[in-house]
Amino acid sequence: MRTLVLVLMLLGCALPASAIDGTELLRQIDRNLNPESYETYRKLINIEPDGRKKEFTLFTIKKGRDKVASLFIAPASEQGRSTLRLGDNMWFYIPNVGKPIRITSLQSVVGGVFNNADILQLDYGTEYTVEKLEEQGTEYLLHLKARTKTVAYDRIRIWAEKDRKLPTKIECLTEAGLLIKTLYFKDVKDFGAGVVRPAVIETDSPLYKGYKSVILVAKTKARDYKDEVFTLTFMPNLESLR
Amino acid sequence: MNRLRWPSLAIGGLALFLVLSSSFLHAEEYTFDVSETEKKPYHLGGYAEFRPLLSGLDRDAALHKLRFYDRNEGRTLPEYNAALQLEGGYEKGIAELFVRGHAAYQDSYLGSKFTITAYEAFLAVRPAPFLTIGAGKQTLKWGTGSAWNPVAFVDRPKNPDEPELNLEGFVVVSADYIKSFQGPLKTISVTPVLIPVFAHINDDFGESDHLNAAGKVYFLLYDTDIDFLFLSGGSRTSRYGLDFSRNITTNLEVHGEYALITDFRQSLIASDGSTRETAADVSNWLLGLRYLTEKETTYILEYYRNGTGFTEQQMRDYFTFVHNAHDAYLSSGSDVLLNKAATVTEKSYGRPNAGQNYLYLRVSQKDPFDFLYWTPAVTAIVNADDKSCSIAPEISYRGITNLELRLRGTVLAGGRLSEFGEKQHNFRLEFLARFSF
Repeated sequence: MRTLVLVLMLLGCALPASAIDGTELLRQIDRNLNPESYETYRKLINIEPDGRKKEFTLFTIKKGRDKVASLFIAPASEQGRSTLRLGDNMWFYIPNVGKPIRITSLQSVVGGVFNNADILQLDYGTEYTVEKLEEQGTEYLLHLKARTKTVAYDRIRIWAEKDRKLPTKIECLTEAGLLIKTLYFKDVKDFGAGVVRPAVIETDSPLYKGYKSVILVAKTKARDYKDEVFTLTFMPNLESLR
Repeated sequence: MNRLRWPSLAIGGLALFLVLSSSFLHAEEYTFDVSETEKKPYHLGGYAEFRPLLSGLDRDAALHKLRFYDRNEGRTLPEYNAALQLEGGYEKGIAELFVRGHAAYQDSYLGSKFTITAYEAFLAVRPAPFLTIGAGKQTLKWGTGSAWNPVAFVDRPKNPDEPELNLEGFVVVSADYIKSFQGPLKTISVTPVLIPVFAHINDDFGESDHLNAAGKVYFLLYDTDIDFLFLSGGSRTSRYGLDFSRNITTNLEVHGEYALITDFRQSLIASDGSTRETAADVSNWLLGLRYLTEKETTYILEYYRNGTGFTEQQMRDYFTFVHNAHDAYLSSGSDVLLNKAATVTEKSYGRPNAGQNYLYLRVSQKDPFDFLYWTPAVTAIVNADDKSCSIAPEISYRGITNLELRLRGTVLAGGRLSEFGEKQHNFRLEFLARFSF
């Protein structure tokens, strides 16, 4: 009898975590970070160990599950460059070079800790499945696994606040569990129209010791675009959408 | 004078580099002022660059004899290039006016030269995201190849040594119509182009008094970019092409281009200086790949079949004629034959990569040993027929906002009567500083 009571107590303790559907939680985290279709401005800052910085400002638009485009609006040397992601296809357009060239999620068009997957990020739920969900005090911990080999990181771990369902930390890992980078989400802000999310994402990586990267987010809002703007042919015209 | 310039320029460049670097050591905290994102109806930008280079002359080479037969420039030849590229746009409603101008200054053994060229100047109207109509001077940039683009029917040829440089466009009327779909066919876009060639309009495109038509139809089908292209109308002979680009795996991309050029006419010169014309349908094609390793080394490998080029024997005949013309000049003092050689060189034999079969390999390493913004690279272009080649190691640095610094050396190797063995120089050292604004 004692054993039965103990088992029931243990089950009772486990109930809150198992009662939450990890996939649904991930969907809520995705939606809390961004509307499904939106536009936003981001500043990417690479900070070197000696304090030197390099900054990039991007205008980014996303539609549905698999369409994202980003346009560099600063600095002057990068102005007019753009990246496009359509499902697993990624292109990089340099005005001087001409036709957009195909790139991969692992490459980096800005250098430093950021790679193209960070710039052209889809919903986490589009690229990853939830393997395991844990509760850690006031936070959930989601263990995610990439759906396909084309995804930049094989595994990620997301720590998210229980109440606001917003991420506080994300670890990006290789298949073998080697840490590639860690993202820290800070400074939750109300962007208006129901968008309340972290405005600062700091990144460090054991692969780039002493280097740090920061993403600052501004003017995020829901906006729907025609499918035709997410095409190779439209890439030179992204500026006309601002 | 020239001997003094190099050390002083190098010291000056280094001093500028150190000053600019140190100004970034005391960086401020990061902020994002949203006013930075406000869009203005106009924009102005461009770059200024300084590019000195030093060539080591090969005094026995055919092209050295052709260009320096009546002058002695020593063993090395300095050259100073400066350029200012300005571009500006003005947007109002659905219309945008865009202008890109290029001013270049060159100080070489030929003296000083200053040129101003309008690279692009056009009006674009976008009544909807799926439709853009443009009129004016534009560069269309067709093709998927890195070093060469056989299907770029309405573009000036790229310089394979500098494939990322802006090119001067042609005056065209064009449109882009885009349609997106769900399923394996994700995109179709259609680009019709009209190219008028009359006196003072595109008169270097081809035969005058023709209104030429060109077009491109693009498909994104099963995650593959595919283009079908054509050019017709009389200024140039009709040509048809296709290209593709696809990621086989996440880090391996393959691309290719094929162009059929009808009734291609070529003027050939024999070793005795006699000339003859040929005409035939020829094909130019290219196959290439881009491969990225886990350590972020990028390999670009391309094979280019240039059907409009000269065979190894035709190139040997041409170089033999130049050597013979030089011998005739030395013995008689007459440069008539050398002038004839200069004419055919300018017309066809002297263009970059005038042979028929080429290999291109570029290997670049991003951020080696965690040194951010440094990119060492080496580029090799091999003439697969005569086995001569150009090998260019370089290192570039882009760690200072808006400034690009690059140091590049080029070594040419090849026997007598081979393409790279007969160039006027056998090595070149080049420094580039480009500031964007």
